Amino acid sequence: MSAAVTGRSLGLLVCLECRATVRALQVAYPRCPRCYAHLHQRKPHSLALTAALLLCAAILYIPANLLPVMYTNTLFDEERDTIMSGVLVLLHSGSWPIAVLVFIASIVVPLLKIVALSVVLFSAWRRSPRYRTQRSELFRMVEFIGRWSMLDVYAISVLVALVQIRSLAYVAVGWGALAFGAVVVLTMFAARTFDERLLWEEPQ
Amino acid sequence: MSSVIVCSSCDLAHRAGMPPFAAATRCARCRAPLQRPENGNIDVAIAVAICALVLFLMSNAYPLVGIQYNGTSRDTTLVGAALSLYRQDHAGLACLVFLTTVLTPFLQIAGLLYLLIPLRRGREAAGQNSVYRLLTQVRPWIFVEVFMLGVLVALVRLSAYARVVPGVAIWSCGLLMFALATLISRTTPAQFWRWVEERRR
Repeated sequence: MSAAVTGRSLGLLVCLECRATVRALQVAYPRCPRCYAHLHQRKPHSLALTAALLLCAAILYIPANLLPVMYTNTLFDEERDTIMSGVLVLLHSGSWPIAVLVFIASIVVPLLKIVALSVVLFSAWRRSPRYRTQRSELFRMVEFIGRWSMLDVYAISVLVALVQIRSLAYVAVGWGALAFGAVVVLTMFAARTFDERLLWEEPQ
Repeated sequence: MSSVIVCSSCDLAHRAGMPPFAAATRCARCRAPLQRPENGNIDVAIAVAICALVLFLMSNAYPLVGIQYNGTSRDTTLVGAALSLYRQDHAGLACLVFLTTVLTPFLQIAGLLYLLIPLRRGREAAGQNSVYRLLTQVRPWIFVEVFMLGVLVALVRLSAYARVVPGVAIWSCGLLMFALATLISRTTPAQFWRWVEERRR
């Protein structure tokens, strides 16, 4: 593949805030003339930051799925629900479309996001020249769907707010929900710190 | 340098015309969106922002949903969802819910009105550049549409045990979701800075 004409080869920087194309100046900390944001050839420490955030998210994914996210206390007993048992409750109550939705949003999407970001990160680190367009598109898709994982956290917050009929039934939050929210936030930051342009560096 | 545009996703340089463009284009190499037509009207953007503000206030003033169970009833507001988590000593989770469903939508709407109204009159609001940069940073953290789906999931789970009563806020919140999406797509960075440059010229 012949070397592509890039911003770097032309001495141009693109402002990630306002998308202005700016001639790179020989100053220590260039700023965008239009919106005054800091300009970088590439996001600083992108690979290390993304890797660290991703690792934290992968570790927290375990308690997020094993710890109860919610306790339902009634007169007679206490039920503890993990994310997965919540899906099963929905399935048995006959609303399978909602069960499938929650399963995809809460279990498949976070896992997919962690795996996909790892793949993209690894190939950027290796400067792998293959499937670059597909990896670029995978990254953008994952960045877009990742937000829907917060679904269960919101469902729990509404259940907790509504089901507080003292002595009859009440719902309490479990630590799994916090771990789960942390996974979503960490993967969002991991995607933000990753510089897509690193996927397109010429192999050395 | 307006004749060369660099893709922010893969750094490929493209020849480009002057804005506004007839149609949206994508990067030739990585398929990321490159340019969009930036011929939006600032008056429309302000109108959508005011509409979103009204819907936001309604969504927070009225109850979202309620349940009736054995003669007792209970309802909650948007803030109530976050507050109930806080009362159960889950301050971290409460903050997350409050930030993503109340604070970020409000910041976005109020911030855009603060910037766009002076801009329409040919002036720049104090701290315009930093405020707009803050708003673009906040955008990925607006979770109103995900919250609405979360409410739906909670109601499905409850409907087996109690009677569910939708409140006024659930409708205004559903509309707010669309108003925010419209507002954000009408005030993209390229579009906003084009308005600013037209004024500076």
